[in-house]
Amino acid sequence: MSALFRVGDALRVYRDRHPVLWRLIWTVVLVAIAVYMTTHLSATTDGLLATGACMSIVILGLSFLTGASGQVSLGNAAFMGVGAYATAIWANHHTTTPVAVVLLIGALSGAAVGLLIGLPATRLRGPYLAGMTLLFAISFEGIVLFFGSWTGGDAPLQLPTIAVAPQWFVDRFSSSIPLFTLNQMWLADIAIVTVGVSFFFMANLFRSRTGRAMRLVRDNDVAAELVGISLPHARVLAFVVSAAYAGLGGALYTLVTGNASYSTYSLGLSITILSLLVIGGIGTLSGALIGGVIFAYSTTWIDWIVGKTGITQGGNLAANLPNIIFGGLLVITMLVAPYGIAGAIKMGAGKVSRRFRVTRMPMASG
Amino acid sequence: MDAFLTGRAFSDLLFGIADGVIISLIALSLVLIWRSTHILNFAQGAMAMFAVYLGMGLLSYNVGFWWCVLVSIVAGVVLGGLTERLLVRRLYGAPEINPIVVMVGLLLLLEAVMGAIWSSTPRGITTPVSSNYWQLHGLPLGLSPFTMLEIGAAIAVALGIGALFKFTKLGLQLRASAVAPEVSRLLGVRVGRMLTLGWMLSLGVGTVAALLFCSVNGLTPTQMDGIFVYGFAAAAIGGLESPTGALVSGMVLGVMQAYMGDYYNSNDIPFATLMLLIIVLMIRPQGVFSKKITRRV
Repeated sequence: MSALFRVGDALRVYRDRHPVLWRLIWTVVLVAIAVYMTTHLSATTDGLLATGACMSIVILGLSFLTGASGQVSLGNAAFMGVGAYATAIWANHHTTTPVAVVLLIGALSGAAVGLLIGLPATRLRGPYLAGMTLLFAISFEGIVLFFGSWTGGDAPLQLPTIAVAPQWFVDRFSSSIPLFTLNQMWLADIAIVTVGVSFFFMANLFRSRTGRAMRLVRDNDVAAELVGISLPHARVLAFVVSAAYAGLGGALYTLVTGNASYSTYSLGLSITILSLLVIGGIGTLSGALIGGVIFAYSTTWIDWIVGKTGITQGGNLAANLPNIIFGGLLVITMLVAPYGIAGAIKMGAGKVSRRFRVTRMPMASG
Repeated sequence: MDAFLTGRAFSDLLFGIADGVIISLIALSLVLIWRSTHILNFAQGAMAMFAVYLGMGLLSYNVGFWWCVLVSIVAGVVLGGLTERLLVRRLYGAPEINPIVVMVGLLLLLEAVMGAIWSSTPRGITTPVSSNYWQLHGLPLGLSPFTMLEIGAAIAVALGIGALFKFTKLGLQLRASAVAPEVSRLLGVRVGRMLTLGWMLSLGVGTVAALLFCSVNGLTPTQMDGIFVYGFAAAAIGGLESPTGALVSGMVLGVMQAYMGDYYNSNDIPFATLMLLIIVLMIRPQGVFSKKITRRV
């Protein structure tokens, strides 16, 4: 037993001395497990995983904005849309661009538009920014139509063959697996790797000097200013990072769905993203993952509820049930458990571990 | 002169005023809530819409139109009071984002509930006041009896609220509990009640705006989303603290949008409004009509 503790302590020392490397190892291990899993799952599950992955990236971005700097954006679906259209337009003109570059373009375009919209945010507080981003969400349709010659206007912009599994990937599997399954698998793998990269980056940002500065801005902006943090910089940076993540999520979502359409990136989606963030848990990595999973499976679960309770299929209640549940959960979570599911789990785990705590020698610090 | 009165430019001005009146009223209702509780009510449009559905639903039971209007407004006022008592009261002193998230949640919930009960198919209302435009020597003037009703109602509401705040003891108490809740409490003002009353008043004004808007455009659960956002923009441009600012910038916004929609392109009205808001807030973050406030640490 004591040998086990010694290993545990050694690991803890390693974690404290090399936090970045420690996170990198964790990310690589988790991503490898997830990628391995996708090869054994059905095409449907792979598709859902990919969708959930896109959404968890967007939620993570909003989580950073809200959790680290205390601002709320109601326009993140529109930033997703920016990334989605940028990706689709680029991919239509340059069909041979590697997927990683295409995703980067999505993220960068989201960041660029985020900078434009976020600049006034330097001087605004809470509700003003939320209202302004709401206005941005409403105007996204008009913006897409305005650039109709690029975006294709009302019709969804189709993606060329970029999202198809490359030959080296196909060759690895037996030829009995249908190509559709392989494509879904490929997409899920891309999504998982992207999630890994973006979560790794965020975990480091959260615990970096910048992340700490932002949390101080959130908790007490006057104190932050007094210790020399530039409020405008911190606020704009948070907003740009969140927009970049939204853009990346949108770009990935375009790969998964095969097209970009402004009707997807409506105000409704923005509000859904906010609900998922709050339900999952603001300011935590696991909360963003939980939110993504909830998004991916919400349709399935709601169909199940509709089937079980005997609500008329396709009726008014069934159609509005998702938003009734999300809206209700949003209000209740915020009033009862403001840290969401992730926070509740952490608190519960804390209680349990306090009860069963093993008394050990305190570690020598150093 | 007739050619000018029935011409494009003047008609647009009249259309703009008719829209602006509604934007102004919504902005005013947001300002009322902001002044009393420092919360921006994102569910304002949906709550007013809910009240309108409740009231106007009586039309199919052969209840007179004006009774339905009265029921709507009462429903709005009650809904406002209930929301403050049951939801908002738990949020005072919470971090800034909590009320925002809760109100957005309420928006989502209410719109879905409305969709579940009344479906999202638009419903028209037949008003006893005609919205056919008056003719001037055979040409339509951009003015109808309904426009006059809109303007009249808005002026009545604005004057009523103004008189309440300026000349009555209740108004004084309302203002006092918004500015200095602690002191007011010491002086015997029931501050809690005043906050509830602020929400009730605000929702009353919001419901009037929703009634006017829906009488022309019909009822759908999400009908108020767009106009609510313009109302917010107007309130923010006016400075969120200033009722006069809200009314004036609502009118300006309405007229601007009418001209833009006619001469340029109505798809880009939201974006143009966003740009206007950004520019105004970059120059004067506290809004056009508010004095600069210094935050006390």
